[in-house]
Amino acid sequence: MLRVNEEKQLQEVKESARPKIGMGILIAGTALLFLALALSISLGAADIELKTVWDTIFHFNPELVNHQIILELRIPRVIGAAIVGACFAVAGALMQGMTRNPLADSGLLGLNAGAAFMLAVCFAFFPGLSYTYVILFSFVGAAMGAGIVYGIGSLSENGLTPIRLVLAGAAVSALLGALSEGVALYYEIGQDLAFWYAGGVSGTTWEQLKVVAPWLCIAIVGAIVLSRSITILSLGEEVAIGLGENMGKVKLLSAIIILILAGAAVSVVGAVSFVGLMVPHLARWLVGHDYRWIIPTSAVLGALLVVLADLVARMINPPYETPIGALIALLGVPFFLYLARKGGGQI
Amino acid sequence: MTKKQWKTSNQLRKEHQIKWSFLLLLVLLIACILVSLNTGHIRLTPIETVMTLIGKGTEQQALILFDFRLPRIVIAILVGMGLAISGAILQGIVRNPLAEPGIIGINAGAGLGVMLFISFFASVSEAPVYLMPVVAFVGAGAASFIVYVLSYKKYEGLSPIRLVLTGVAVAAGIDALMIVLTLRLDPDNYQFLATWLAGSIWGSNWTFVLALLPWLLVLLPFVYTKASVLNVLNLGDETSVGLGVNMEKERRVLLVLAVAIAAVCVSVSGGIGFVGLIAPHLTRRLVGDKHEHILPISAMVGAVLLVLADTIGRWLQQSVEIPAGIFVAIIGAPYFLYLLAKTKD
Amino acid sequence: MDALGVDRVSVGYGNALIIEELSVAIPKHKITTIIGPNGCGKSTLLKTLVRVLRAKEGVVSLEGKAIHTMNTKEVAKRMAVLPQTAQAPSGLTIFELVSYGRFPHRKRMGRLSNEDYQYINWALEVTGLSDLRDKSANALSGGQRQRVWIAMALAQGTDILVLDEPTTYLDLAHQLDILLLLQRLNKEEGRTIVMVLHDLNHASRFSDYMIAMRDGAIVTKGEPNEVMTCHHLQKVFQIKAELTACPYSTNPVCLSYQLCETDAACKVR
Repeated sequence: MLRVNEEKQLQEVKESARPKIGMGILIAGTALLFLALALSISLGAADIELKTVWDTIFHFNPELVNHQIILELRIPRVIGAAIVGACFAVAGALMQGMTRNPLADSGLLGLNAGAAFMLAVCFAFFPGLSYTYVILFSFVGAAMGAGIVYGIGSLSENGLTPIRLVLAGAAVSALLGALSEGVALYYEIGQDLAFWYAGGVSGTTWEQLKVVAPWLCIAIVGAIVLSRSITILSLGEEVAIGLGENMGKVKLLSAIIILILAGAAVSVVGAVSFVGLMVPHLARWLVGHDYRWIIPTSAVLGALLVVLADLVARMINPPYETPIGALIALLGVPFFLYLARKGGGQI
Repeated sequence: MTKKQWKTSNQLRKEHQIKWSFLLLLVLLIACILVSLNTGHIRLTPIETVMTLIGKGTEQQALILFDFRLPRIVIAILVGMGLAISGAILQGIVRNPLAEPGIIGINAGAGLGVMLFISFFASVSEAPVYLMPVVAFVGAGAASFIVYVLSYKKYEGLSPIRLVLTGVAVAAGIDALMIVLTLRLDPDNYQFLATWLAGSIWGSNWTFVLALLPWLLVLLPFVYTKASVLNVLNLGDETSVGLGVNMEKERRVLLVLAVAIAAVCVSVSGGIGFVGLIAPHLTRRLVGDKHEHILPISAMVGAVLLVLADTIGRWLQQSVEIPAGIFVAIIGAPYFLYLLAKTKD
Repeated sequence: MDALGVDRVSVGYGNALIIEELSVAIPKHKITTIIGPNGCGKSTLLKTLVRVLRAKEGVVSLEGKAIHTMNTKEVAKRMAVLPQTAQAPSGLTIFELVSYGRFPHRKRMGRLSNEDYQYINWALEVTGLSDLRDKSANALSGGQRQRVWIAMALAQGTDILVLDEPTTYLDLAHQLDILLLLQRLNKEEGRTIVMVLHDLNHASRFSDYMIAMRDGAIVTKGEPNEVMTCHHLQKVFQIKAELTACPYSTNPVCLSYQLCETDAACKVR
């Protein structure tokens, strides 16, 4: 009898999903993303025609300066932006689904600050470490940040409420932020770290992308594979157990994926918050509560958001670049306040 | 019967404890000041310091002590006191152990005010310093008003956790806005703002002391006269009304006081968080829950904390100086987490 | 003149009115108890009487004067309040807490006067807390804590004492202990006492005057003999009550009761 109820609940979620809309949004989103990528490549300190962009990609000519700018600076940068956006968004979606916490975001829950802190440590104590290892530090840092926040949250007499976790995340971020700033000043590596904290994608290189991309592809594919189980988890532990889901395994795998996504993204762009908060909510609103749709939609929309933010960041005050972390926070804070005021809402 | 006879031995012991706490803190503060005077790019021996203080040092030593280090220490003391008292007031009126000027957005608002203000001038040094506390107050007032409005729910009132959550978010938003706006500043001002945000005690000359002092001289004694009101507010809304407190009025007055004190302090010290959180809590452990004692003692604790943090920052790294705000955050954030785990919704 | 009175007051939260056009008078030098089922508006009425809630319409008067025109400190010199959920901050001794009762009498600054000390010590003595005066207020049992708050209200030195469910969360002996204390204060010093009680038998035994409410309106009021009837209890609580004489007072008490299913008449034994 109970079992039937749970099946019904799952069925309802599945029915609430809107595959046609989902498909439409995925296609339209991807198209928009490519458009934004192209625009972003062509606009910048030196404006380049879209046709040149096309030529660079399909008929690359190393003797043309514009082709070189595009290949060595612009393309890695926009790809970096897209990947980072997708990562943060998918990490946020996984966290929100797994923990049923509508305020979950890798930035708000201390993962990003942890990764950034480990980067500072890495620069201070192991200068010149290759990027392959830097990224591992970043994973460890993300795990550390998350560990502290959840550890403190579960010590609390009142349990792990979403709001408490966010506050713990804010304090842990403040702490780790202060520590990394202290380390940076003490070892005089502030310059090296500056663009990380500011959250810029401008320094992305092909070398970085080569290291990060495999991790991220595996993580995102993993997330999509897990998405059915996440949907079940998002219905609550009791339902998940009733439906015979192996909770421990799913949670462990999701946690690993989240750490990889957040850690890798931070190692490219710095501690950017709110992408993982906003995008999954938007995706859920668009395609319903089935994570098999939410996760790919989040990936596309997250990529789109960060690419656009990066574009705007370059346009506001050329030739200076506004940190995209700040720009996204300007969007994210009102959104967050709205969610918090609603009292957390339902996942 | 005389009053003394009403008191029991226990009460006398408590009074002793308060006196001793005060003396101990005073000794600590003086020790911190002496160490701080010795610390910096150019080292002075303790003897040289004392000699200079009584007017028997070289000209260079006098310059370093009187024009660089002393004003900075004085500012650290004043700011520490102000932030601690502001925190004590806030914790009292919202009956929220997590309340603190930095956390509920006052620092960020003051920072935005200061930033907009200096952006009108070519460089920081040209800006009229005396106006800065006023500007900071306007910014802080606006920010705390926004936080208050956003966290207030009809019929539910102000939940402690919601207030802090809204404060954190609004502060994050204002910080982001400042970062975006800073890029419009010229590099000189930009550098200034970066250090401001990190909470280094940047305004280290006598001009800033003079800009800060009159405000505190007026505001702090006024707060002290409100100690008994704070005591009663601590007992809850209904009891306070029953005891004849005009809740709305007193709350508003105290809130304005807390915002004003924190704003003027932050306008010269930069965004230093957590002092207003830690100091009153430590103080309560030392002297109990009466605001007649909490206010002065937490002012002392705040002063010691900040002078200490500033000294450590200079001592660790003489060439770059690690901002005091960083050390305070390293102690303060774990303390906040501890309190968070204990607070009920 | 009545100690307290409300004249056609309407009170509520937001747009929803809980009490509409209600008038009642609280007699002087007597113990008055408000009874009624959950959500009947008795606490709302009490909070309106002590100006914690502001009436949307109508007038609350204290000894004949409109309460909202009076200085709130002046009101506090005449009427003390014990709220339902009083919470003490952790770091206070009992003496300190009770001394806060002198707040309305004190100047802004300054120490406790001799008169203040006399009131505080008297309040501690009456409530039997003299020996505990230096104990921390949050190291107390429920009954002791309630007495501390009563002591604080007494230290206020007022003729009128308003208490919102002073016996809730206490065990039987402590409930009686508190009520006997209140009775003594009324009999020996002529203090006016107004309270909300959940226990009908306590209300009947200790009150001189009872007010029974339901759905934001007064069903009946008067001496316990008049209020504690089957008819009224059925109307107020929808119970069929078995009433009998109280062995400790002249008022009736409810022996046992049954939920009403029909309008069957009650028996009086």
